Amino acid sequence: MEGQSASHGNVHAMKKLLRNTCFILALRIVLGLAFVVASLEKIVDPDAFGISISNYKILPAFIIPVPATILPWMELLCGLSIFFGVLVRGSSLLITTMLLVFLFAVLSAMARGLDITCGCFTQDPDAATIGWIKIAENISLLCASLCLFCSGEGSLSLDHYLRKRTGEDPALPM
Amino acid sequence: MSETAAKGLRLTIREALLISVAATILGFAYTALTQKGIFSAPSPTPVLLTSDEGLSPEMIQIEEAQELFGSGTAVFIDTRDELEYRAGHIKGAINIPLVEFDTRLDSLRALPGDEVLITYCDGTECSSCIEFANRLYSAGISNVKIFFGGWEEWKASQLPMETSTP
Repeated sequence: MEGQSASHGNVHAMKKLLRNTCFILALRIVLGLAFVVASLEKIVDPDAFGISISNYKILPAFIIPVPATILPWMELLCGLSIFFGVLVRGSSLLITTMLLVFLFAVLSAMARGLDITCGCFTQDPDAATIGWIKIAENISLLCASLCLFCSGEGSLSLDHYLRKRTGEDPALPM
Repeated sequence: MSETAAKGLRLTIREALLISVAATILGFAYTALTQKGIFSAPSPTPVLLTSDEGLSPEMIQIEEAQELFGSGTAVFIDTRDELEYRAGHIKGAINIPLVEFDTRLDSLRALPGDEVLITYCDGTECSSCIEFANRLYSAGISNVKIFFGGWEEWKASQLPMETSTP
């Protein structure tokens, strides 16, 4: 019984946290900025990003230009959406999917003993190589993304403001 | 699932699709306009240096590589990185990644003059073997050939190979 009530307490605390406007805003700023910053260098130099993807030796060479073209823009759009609080649930769904793919790629590269750089925030071949710090970083971002998927954009957001102005119900629960 | 939750989920998926489509359009439009990435001009095939005598390292096919391997007069130089080399390489090949060229040049000079040096890397997707052969040529070692089909072709033909432990 005690265990059950403690678990209820945790769920209640989590729900309360996900309704906290400041917490949601902080998550949006951190996750949004992280993805916007990560996308910029890749957008400017898709060839270098393509090399980073090929270093993982997961995809065949002829497919690599496609994710190298689309992924950076997806990161930018999702980052901006999260930051400004528009289409937050859709963006967090995409970010969660991307982070799971990145996690798989990094873990599989580590398991295969590949000594490569991540290609996440910089395409510099001399950057630090992948390791457990990168895994921890990805998991942290994944947690933030999942929180936003559950909480939605929060009241300090462009979406909330626009819905209020048009008279739509701003809260659409999952 | 309640109707509201189902509606919320449908909206979320719609949002994700909208962003995906926008990212695809923007990505292809930007790379097309800037001629980058997928729309960049194909990188020129690495060219072989031509020496003063008008000669350059010869590209050889797998048949000749196999013949030289069998004759025992060739030294295969694997120019890939150490991890790839350890995972599998042409039997008896030595590993000298391109970045180590300068430090290992003297050991190559010390090889008997009648030995043919054959450089190779992954296969047609890589060019470090060509660069390596060019540098050997420039350093005055002219008995050099390039097996451009590389490891992939050798492995596919199931010719003698081995792995190494660190």
